[in-house]
Amino acid sequence: MRLAFVGKGGAGKSAIAGTFARTLARQGDNVLAIDSDPLPGLAFSLGLPIDDSPPIPDEAVVERKEGEQGPRWRLNPDVDPLEAVEKWSVEAPDGVRFFQFGKVKGDAREIWKSQIAFRFIVNKLPAGHWNVVGDLPGGTRQAFTGWGNWATTVLVVVEPTAKSLLSGRRLARMADLDPEVPKRVMAVASKVTDPDDVDMIAKGTGLEVVAAVPYDEALAEAERRQLAPIDFAPDSPAVRAVESLVERMSEEKVS
Amino acid sequence: MKLAVVGKGGSGKTTTSSVIARTLAKAGSAVVALDCDSNPNLGISLGVGDEETERLVSMRQALDEGEEAHAPTWDTLIGRYGSDGPDGVRLAVVSRIDNPEPG
Repeated sequence: MRLAFVGKGGAGKSAIAGTFARTLARQGDNVLAIDSDPLPGLAFSLGLPIDDSPPIPDEAVVERKEGEQGPRWRLNPDVDPLEAVEKWSVEAPDGVRFFQFGKVKGDAREIWKSQIAFRFIVNKLPAGHWNVVGDLPGGTRQAFTGWGNWATTVLVVVEPTAKSLLSGRRLARMADLDPEVPKRVMAVASKVTDPDDVDMIAKGTGLEVVAAVPYDEALAEAERRQLAPIDFAPDSPAVRAVESLVERMSEEKVS
Repeated sequence: MKLAVVGKGGSGKTTTSSVIARTLAKAGSAVVALDCDSNPNLGISLGVGDEETERLVSMRQALDEGEEAHAPTWDTLIGRYGSDGPDGVRLAVVSRIDNPEPG
């Protein structure tokens, strides 16, 4: 399974992705949770109190030599993607491995090399080892560019609001234009309060809605306390809805 | 006054911006509301509706596509590519990502 969560900022991508990754790992699957947002997010939803991932060293990318073709920066040929993940990811609860691409921490350290290396490593991961669950930054910048095309399934997280629907519609349109391998693109309704919300999101995005995650005060409280939803409120309706989503998506997982 | 609103996704930047813009305009100021998000949706919060938000040709796209032969002035761009919203707020969109790109 290679599944990316996308959608407008604040729609609930990290909370859903973190809960999804933990649930999948509890079933005994190898889960790599990846985060390509320069601001922190997924670590908390996975249940990591601090994100102390080792930085990917600058030497992981090398510059094109004179006379060579292709992009200016490439993955150092000495870096094996599977070994890189072992080395530069950290362990989260339930055995999830958490791999992120470098955070803006306010100091002057440049992280663009780390971010390029991350992108190569994820794109070059061999099939059949990891179930990859990705939390992409909000908006349309990464979803269908080189940052998101490792995914074979894209779940667009949409709230029943005009702005979230507009973002969902744009993401669905971009998915249609994507020249890469055909992806499954579906919607997850988030913060649902009204029985008509799911229908509104299906009509508004043109996507099949594969889960309806209800608005849940327990999730908001988990955010306030910086705790993973699955730890703070394992029996909450929202966590239960994500567990159903895992079941639904599980036909292509790697154990 | 030149005021930028920033913050994490979903924290309320667009809503805050739109209320500031309309409040200033109601008080009689000339206000340009500039949507700098590559996934622009300020139009919805300002009250121009999602169809008009989608219709707005982004200024950068127009420049990229060569509709503007010479670097035009700020007033020209805002006049040509902006849209009038409630309370006289002039809305303009800086850019929009429309196309996927191969990796």
